[in-house]
Amino acid sequence: MPVTKVLTAGIGEADLRNIDVYRERGGYRQWERAVRELKPGDVLDLAEKSGLRGRGGAGFPTGKKWSFLPAEKPLRYLVCNCDEAEPGTFKDHMLIAEAPHLVLEGILLGSYGIECHHAFIYIRGEFKRGYEIFSAALDEARKAGFVGDDLFGSGFNLEVTVQRGAGAYICGEETGLLNSLEGKRGEPRLKPPFPAIEGLYGMPTVVNNVETLAYLVPILEKGAEWFASVGTERSKGYKIVSVSGHVQRPGNYEVALGTTVREIIDIAGGLRPGRNLMAVQPGGGSSACIFEEQLDLPYDYENMAKAGSMLGSGAFVVFDDSTDFVKAAHNLVRFFAHESCGQCTPCREGGHWLERVLERLVHGRGVSGDYEMLLRVSGGITGLNLCALGDSIEPFLKSVLLRFPEQFRARVLKAKETVPV
Amino acid sequence: MNVNLTIDGVPVSVPKGTWLVEAAKTVQQEIPVYCYHTKLGPAGLCRVCLVDIEGMPKLQIACNTPAAEGMVVRTRGARVEAGRAMILELLLVNHPLDCPICDKGGECDLQDYAMAYARGNSDVVDPKTRKPKAVDLGPTIVLDEERCVVCQRCVRFDDIIADERQLVVKDRGAHDIIATATGSPYRHNFTGNVTELCPVGALTSKTYRFKSRPWDLNRTQTTCTQCAVGCQQFADVRYGTLLRTMSVENDDAISDGWLCDRGRYNIGFYASPDRLTQPLYRKGGSFVQIGWDDAFALWGKAITDAIAAKGTPSVGAIGGGRLTNEEAYVLQYLFRKIGVANLDWRSGRQRQATPGANGGALTDIELAQAIVIAGESIEERAPVLWLRVRKAALRGGATVVHAATPAEAVAALPAGATRVALVWDGIDLARGRAFADAFAGVAELSTYVASEQGNARGAEAMGMLPWSGPGYAAARARGRDAAGMFEDARNGSLAVLSMFGVNPVRNAADGAAVAQALVKVPFVVVSELFLTETADRATLVLPAKGAFEKTGTTLNLAGDLLPVNAAVQAPDGVLSDLEMLLGLAAQLDVDLPRAEELDATVIEHMAHAPEDFGFGDSRFASDVASVPEDVPPATILSGGGTWRHDPTLATLQVETPSSQPVGATA
Repeated sequence: MPVTKVLTAGIGEADLRNIDVYRERGGYRQWERAVRELKPGDVLDLAEKSGLRGRGGAGFPTGKKWSFLPAEKPLRYLVCNCDEAEPGTFKDHMLIAEAPHLVLEGILLGSYGIECHHAFIYIRGEFKRGYEIFSAALDEARKAGFVGDDLFGSGFNLEVTVQRGAGAYICGEETGLLNSLEGKRGEPRLKPPFPAIEGLYGMPTVVNNVETLAYLVPILEKGAEWFASVGTERSKGYKIVSVSGHVQRPGNYEVALGTTVREIIDIAGGLRPGRNLMAVQPGGGSSACIFEEQLDLPYDYENMAKAGSMLGSGAFVVFDDSTDFVKAAHNLVRFFAHESCGQCTPCREGGHWLERVLERLVHGRGVSGDYEMLLRVSGGITGLNLCALGDSIEPFLKSVLLRFPEQFRARVLKAKETVPV
Repeated sequence: MNVNLTIDGVPVSVPKGTWLVEAAKTVQQEIPVYCYHTKLGPAGLCRVCLVDIEGMPKLQIACNTPAAEGMVVRTRGARVEAGRAMILELLLVNHPLDCPICDKGGECDLQDYAMAYARGNSDVVDPKTRKPKAVDLGPTIVLDEERCVVCQRCVRFDDIIADERQLVVKDRGAHDIIATATGSPYRHNFTGNVTELCPVGALTSKTYRFKSRPWDLNRTQTTCTQCAVGCQQFADVRYGTLLRTMSVENDDAISDGWLCDRGRYNIGFYASPDRLTQPLYRKGGSFVQIGWDDAFALWGKAITDAIAAKGTPSVGAIGGGRLTNEEAYVLQYLFRKIGVANLDWRSGRQRQATPGANGGALTDIELAQAIVIAGESIEERAPVLWLRVRKAALRGGATVVHAATPAEAVAALPAGATRVALVWDGIDLARGRAFADAFAGVAELSTYVASEQGNARGAEAMGMLPWSGPGYAAARARGRDAAGMFEDARNGSLAVLSMFGVNPVRNAADGAAVAQALVKVPFVVVSELFLTETADRATLVLPAKGAFEKTGTTLNLAGDLLPVNAAVQAPDGVLSDLEMLLGLAAQLDVDLPRAEELDATVIEHMAHAPEDFGFGDSRFASDVASVPEDVPPATILSGGGTWRHDPTLATLQVETPSSQPVGATA
């Protein structure tokens, strides 16, 4: 199955940051049509019928998420999550930096769909360039009359606020993001209440990923059926896959869901000559590896889950036989331990402990029992955490511990040989 | 509406929405917690309160899971135990395990739960993280960051109870620490509570650090008498020394489970070497130590002689606000029995302590839509009452009004407010009356007088007023009030003045004038713990017991009758005011009432506030036309009267915002 350009159409060919170029290519027409001709419920219907699922990681059906908003509370917010920080993911930054108007139009459509009058976009602190480009695009759109009061003479008002984060992974967790957006410490909130009931400033709030919202534009243009006709049974439409690791042409590739894992590797140029595939991490740093025997699985939500992993944010990392999986595991666990907010015990203490043991292993100073400890503690903390961060530590570590035990055990043996008695 | 569920096979019926951790208590199932606290609510941080709920794939935290109809909950079982053991193992990874030198050892939740639920061994081979130890957090507290389990109880207390927001979590992940947001010392009126909330040995009181082991402490529950709120507290005594006071968590009606720093830390003076331990008699220009028999004989003779020579108006007694009800009753009984009517408790600026017909319970404040403060800041005069005002404001959305005039206060009320609490300092009668009149139309008005002396209201109920006897019954003969007695003293018509636990030279509106007046009184008796400014001008000084050394009852500002229990033995040679009055009664040949005539029922009966007066009743007006004004207010922590004798409290004075007047001692 080839690469299909939907959101990525025009990127690298035209200057989509220019509002005129974007409009020439049909930009903001769906927004105008929605406000002039559609009811908010129509947009919600389209989102539901298209089968669009959240592209940020959890894969929650978008229309369903919107429907949780209590009807009796008219003051509500839409927050676009652009705190893209999952290891291996780099699609949202590309979208706001290369196609900012598309993202903005998606935010506008989403806001209309949930009938909110103030939307926010929270952009990761490191994305300074993306922030500047998006802010400029927002200014242009406001001048062109696409954002503001009484849009297209309909009486519908909508304001969009851009907020930069300070570069914390945990602020990508939706309640951590809301706290940070409110100016508080970026820590996940205790749920329930969920954001749909009590979110930003205590009001019902929908938090959607950049890519999710952007897909609303083609869905409005071409119809829910068009989107739903692509993909597999419960994974509809397209997905931007951020392929990285040991492939010849790493990058963002937009494919129909259901394209096989092997095809995605091939799209990215395949492995380097003479190398063998060891593992693929299909859904970002939080996902477990899949292996050679699973390469012909369709890349979609349910098949990745069935394989013991997840599609996540579509961060697709390929590992060939040059990989030191102890180092790889240490690198990821160190990331999670460093990014832990420290609120809850398992993530704060467990992540840090695992990191220190792995660090010893990396340096060949393992002791007997380390391998078992890594399995026991990473498994033990999973499911006990306040948010998903702590539960993200185990999958990759466990999958490579079980697949490549010799790589880990070798570091213990080495220690026994080298440490003088 | 109740829901039915089973916990460990036992059927439970609890109100809908009850957290499982509370529901489990109803069937005596212990669920370990660190971050959860009944008064702070769930936080979901420590993750130790795991329970197994049928139909749920993962273990759930009992602190944030509401009980639901038909729920089947297990607080035991392999899955729960494995989860709990994992959490405890993790909490101990970087914990210093210095229990042998930790103050919390023996009453530590980490120690207890680790013993009960954790694995007996550890897989940790790496060094533990190092964090700052013995951090000087502020004047009252030392913090050991390594022992901290980051439950954030202290942070949440500071936020949602004390409304101070000084404490925060700094840094991130495994390196996070507790600190003040600005780095400045942690200080406000309620800091000590965080040492009790801390489930481990991270936050410790400077006054108690390295002093004792919990199993060496003898615990007595009593009432704090340092202000008129009447908080219940535990007095912990080791080998005869009072080492600390602790709050009583289920004391919802009075303290709501909190103590102020004055009540908690102003206790060191009991063991002060400066305490009086023998009666002092002025001979020539200086004091000589005498025995109690001589003291009673001199005292009795002075009174008898004065009455014989100049009649009963030449004798007076002041005190009651710092005595127990029993002592105050006996005091007025004895003096009225010999015909003396010059009796008053009001040694300071305060004129009235009983609110009258609309007096409310402390818990009524939480229900109020508006709380009007008429007079001096109650944060200083009645700190824990102020905590309840904050609770009403933070959780109930009540409006707190500090207004200069009744008109301003009325204007600041939320529209349609029908439940109003009015708190007055009892000093300016006209002001009190004006506020009470302004709010007379409020449907549910509850009034309070925030007295400074702990048992001021009890003294009034027991009859230590010149115009009323016990139970507010009109006295047969009207005497002079305290200000009147000092005027008589200046005129030379007062012969014997007996004072109990009062220091008017320091605290009266014009203390200097009192000092001059006392010189003209031939025989001044002062019962005190220390040689105060007033005692220093006495003829006879009697060493008295403090509230932790005697037994009786006290009446708080809301009219609750509360027990005072002896927790610690007084120094040799020191008597309670009651014992002194017994000695004097023997000299004067008066039979005092027996104990059973003065039991709690009798006192409770007398304590009923009369319906016929309110704030600023004219009967409380001063005998003396003009009382000098513009006396500089004394500093906070002075309500106990003896604070300056406590060396540990020298650093404990808290600055108060200059916009609010500060409480003075009475």
